[in-house]
Amino acid sequence: MKFLAWLIAAALILGVAGIAAPSLVHAQPVPTAERPAGQAGDGPHAIVTKTHPHDDIVESSGKGMALLFWIFAAASIAGALFVVTRRNLIAAVMGMVGSFIGIAAVYMMLYAQFLAVIQMLVYAGAIMVLFVFVIMILNRPEDEPVAPTGRIGQAIGGVAILYLVARLAMILMNVALPNKAIALASPAPIMLPGWGSAGGSEAVGWGTVKAVGNDLFGPGLFPFEAISILLLVAVVGAIAIARPLHPDDGTDADPGIHP
Amino acid sequence: MNDLLFDVGYGHFLVLAAVLFLIGVAGVLIRRNALIILMSVELMLNAANMTLLTFSRMWGDEGALSAHTFALIVIGVAAAEASVGLAIVVAVFRGRRNVDVDKLTTLRH
Amino acid sequence: MSDPQTWSFAGLPALLWIPLLPLLASAINLIFGKRIGKPGAGVLAVLAVAGACVLAGVEVFGGLFYHATKEAPPLWQAGGITQTAWSWLEVGGFKAELAFRLDSLSAVMILIITFVGTWIHIYSMGYMAHDKGYHRYFGYLNLFTGSMLILVLAANLPVMFIGWEGVGLCSFLLIGFWYENDAYAYAGRKAFVVNRIGDFMFLLGMFLLYWAVKSLDFNDIKNAANITVLHDSVWGPHNSHVWADERLAAAAGICLFGGACGKSAQLPLFVWLPDAMAGPTPVSALIHAATMVTAGVYMVCRLSFLYSISTTAMIVISTVGLLTALVAAFIAFAQTDLKKVLAYSTVSQLGFMFVAAGTGNYTAAVFHLGTHAFFKACLFLGAGSVMHGMEHGGSTTPGDITTMGGLRKHMPITRATFLISCLAISGIFPFAGFFSKDEILGGAWAVAGHGTPPGWPQFYGYLLWGGLLIAALGTAFYMWRLYFLVFSGNERSEAAKHAHESPLSMTSALAILALFATIIGFIGVPHLEALHGIPSAFHALSNWLAPAVQHAWIVDATHTLPIGGEGSDSMTITLMVIALAVGAFGIVLAWALYGRGPSARVAHWVEGPLAGPYEASKNKLWFDELYDATIVRPFKMIARGLFEIADRFVIDTVAVNGAAFVVSLFSRLSRWVQNGQVQRYLSGLVVGAAAVFLVTDCHRHPAFSISRQGEELRLHAEPGAGIVGPNVKLHWHLDGSTDCSADKDKPSDPPDLTVRRGDVGGRVALCIDDAIGRKMNVVTAEVPTEETP
Repeated sequence: MKFLAWLIAAALILGVAGIAAPSLVHAQPVPTAERPAGQAGDGPHAIVTKTHPHDDIVESSGKGMALLFWIFAAASIAGALFVVTRRNLIAAVMGMVGSFIGIAAVYMMLYAQFLAVIQMLVYAGAIMVLFVFVIMILNRPEDEPVAPTGRIGQAIGGVAILYLVARLAMILMNVALPNKAIALASPAPIMLPGWGSAGGSEAVGWGTVKAVGNDLFGPGLFPFEAISILLLVAVVGAIAIARPLHPDDGTDADPGIHP
Repeated sequence: MNDLLFDVGYGHFLVLAAVLFLIGVAGVLIRRNALIILMSVELMLNAANMTLLTFSRMWGDEGALSAHTFALIVIGVAAAEASVGLAIVVAVFRGRRNVDVDKLTTLRH
Repeated sequence: MSDPQTWSFAGLPALLWIPLLPLLASAINLIFGKRIGKPGAGVLAVLAVAGACVLAGVEVFGGLFYHATKEAPPLWQAGGITQTAWSWLEVGGFKAELAFRLDSLSAVMILIITFVGTWIHIYSMGYMAHDKGYHRYFGYLNLFTGSMLILVLAANLPVMFIGWEGVGLCSFLLIGFWYENDAYAYAGRKAFVVNRIGDFMFLLGMFLLYWAVKSLDFNDIKNAANITVLHDSVWGPHNSHVWADERLAAAAGICLFGGACGKSAQLPLFVWLPDAMAGPTPVSALIHAATMVTAGVYMVCRLSFLYSISTTAMIVISTVGLLTALVAAFIAFAQTDLKKVLAYSTVSQLGFMFVAAGTGNYTAAVFHLGTHAFFKACLFLGAGSVMHGMEHGGSTTPGDITTMGGLRKHMPITRATFLISCLAISGIFPFAGFFSKDEILGGAWAVAGHGTPPGWPQFYGYLLWGGLLIAALGTAFYMWRLYFLVFSGNERSEAAKHAHESPLSMTSALAILALFATIIGFIGVPHLEALHGIPSAFHALSNWLAPAVQHAWIVDATHTLPIGGEGSDSMTITLMVIALAVGAFGIVLAWALYGRGPSARVAHWVEGPLAGPYEASKNKLWFDELYDATIVRPFKMIARGLFEIADRFVIDTVAVNGAAFVVSLFSRLSRWVQNGQVQRYLSGLVVGAAAVFLVTDCHRHPAFSISRQGEELRLHAEPGAGIVGPNVKLHWHLDGSTDCSADKDKPSDPPDLTVRRGDVGGRVALCIDDAIGRKMNVVTAEVPTEETP
């Protein structure tokens, strides 16, 4: 338990660090113009506005970002492994939360700030709490992690999964994506027409709340409305399903709601 | 090797997403507790989200930003699905006193 | 009176009615017999056979009368009466009609069969009076008579085969008449199976004849000598006259004789006849003495023209006949069952008949056939009478002669007829057997020396004669042994003391047959120049049969040799005297040893010096055991083996159970796939996805091929799986250079290219620009120097 607490604390700290890191990096002054763009291994470069994203060959800002990436990747994977292997359900939930924190940090690195926060709020904050509630209702926090029978099937499945991992990794590593490294410079800012001063366009950062909101309530209005209805349906459905049908139909922890 | 370690590119993110996804798959296949299975499904959704955002960042233009909206919708769907799934688990538990999916079968072996 | 050739009744020719009457009566008896009741069924049967007898007489004598009065050529010289009922088989080129032929040979046969048959039917009415299968018996007996008549009246081989099979069937039915007794049923089965082997040989003979002559009608086969054919025999192509090919006639003749061996109980197929004594005694009398067993002899005489061509077949027949006569006589010495002795006697006498036929003396064979029918039938019926009497006296084994003795006091009529028949069979003048046996012996003597047929050793006739003489001695001995043991001396059991004479129905038949056994010999008196005064009636038989049988050896198409040559009178009389002396000696010997019942001297001999031969004789020379060990047991083992392997293992275990096992195996596998657990389905999904990756992994390496067609080179590029499509840019370097840096901005070349040989150097290189992978792969290949097919 203690160990878990330390783990979560470390993840939190690193997460905050990771969130702050790009802006720290951004705070570096732009070097002189003598530095030609496109040279590897130098310090941070200026923001380059490109017309075509395919030609955006920007170097990484160095080992720091790489280190952060690896740390948060490790956290995510460790958390995921916790979920899959722990016998104690609460431990699994905690592992899940840790994984989510790592994932949120990775989102930050991808300049998806808004989504990172939403991830933390909704996933770690609400969904996992829901899981904890249900675990408490079931009152059965222990579980046998791996089925005692069917080893052959498990072995075959395990081999298949490992193979998939290896193959995917090979493919994804060998495919050269347009930008070789993490571009520490953010992508081009979005121009929001009509939001600027005097009716012009305001430039907002890529991935900020304003930009995402503009997309969500503009072209993405229909999905937005649809998702709200979906959530409504889900709420109603959950209540309908989980409602006890008989007065004495409740579980130990849940005396049931009288219909 | 240095390349791989120090020049972290989009490939790394994609591999991370793939690994998370496959761990989620393994969890669904291996674990018998319904709750763990649901958690693994959440993990898979998150991995998909990560892939989506990676590719969106890769293109990095205005049109690519709609992927964030997409990812938001995915989170919403995941929430709805988790709640309904958990409600079902609770309902089943009421009847069967058991959430072991191996035992939740009426098919004769 | 009209021409008998045209006689018909109810649309069917008159000749057909001769066998048809008994067949109809048989059908009625078998279907309605129970309703007709006890003497009715018998009366019907007797009337049917008597009717056939009358009809036969009318046909024969009426025909003779017609031809004599109407100044037509004599009936038999004109070829007799041939009537066709309808066309039976027409398959391709093969045609067989239901045709009947009455010539002198078949006339003799039908008269004997119907006459003897009538008396045996009458006898059976008394004998079977208490049997519950009365109507069935008469049904079968009539069926037999009808079949035998068909056999004898047939004008072609297929119709003869109908009769052949029919009598075989009836023999089986009648031998196993009391089928509740297992042993009797097995005896019937044995008869049928052994007969079947003979029938198979008969069929082979038929097939050979058909293949040679393309017809199975007797006339056609006889006249085949006039046909000039170019035909390939088994031994190579052969030109001209069919019957000059002695090998074909020999083969067909021997095959047909094989059939006769089965039917007429010759070596090696005689084993069924002693067992056939399990049937009722009248059956033994009719079938196994007078008629069925003579079918083989009749067949040989009928096909005399065929056998006269082939001296090889004749020598085979004579040898087999001689051996049979000797072996059967030997076995008869030690038998203690009354009917068994008579059965072996029948086999032996049949051997005589076949020797006669084998020496070309067909007349003698038929003569002996006729006389034998009478005295053997009389003997069998007498045996039946004795057994009937012993049963009434309380015996449980009525046929055992060791319990008999002194029956002359109790059954005088039976004794008298039995005595007459024994005299006849021993060849004592003036009884029938004397003349017929003497004819045979004379004929055997005549084929030695000057009259030797081509291909026979000179001494062979003498050998036959000597052997037959020994057999005749044996015949006299064992028959008189039998007579003395049954009728002379003192009664050796209570049953014998209480035996009494049989009813009139039985004794009347005995009397009639004994009468004929006495006088019938006189139709076959040999030609003696010194006896001119004898009316021609006494030579009637040979004259009668002359048109029907072939009396000359056919050496080739134009050349014949008379059979038997010309014997002198003195020779003939000497031979007769010798035969008579031998017969008398046999009687005297038997009287000396058994005159007053079983003799102590004989008992002493069989313990001591004659123990070996005695055992051999008593055990029938172990023929049955031999057949059992060499044929029956291996056959059973093979059948058992096949049952175990083919039936049990292959079919049951492998095929049937195996099929079920495979089905259950697959079902188990399929059940594994669908067990309702979603996790298992998802596992399938994941494994499937991995498999898809694996499969598409195989085709990674980009490559291209060059094929050369004359002066052209065809280049075909395979950029590799997964990296195909519009993103891939190909650049061909025909000079073989692997430097791809200049290609980046050029448009892509097509993947298939055809160039001329002169345009390329020694190597071709392909640069593959993968936009997504951002790689430039280079593949090179040598230009082939030769044409690729």
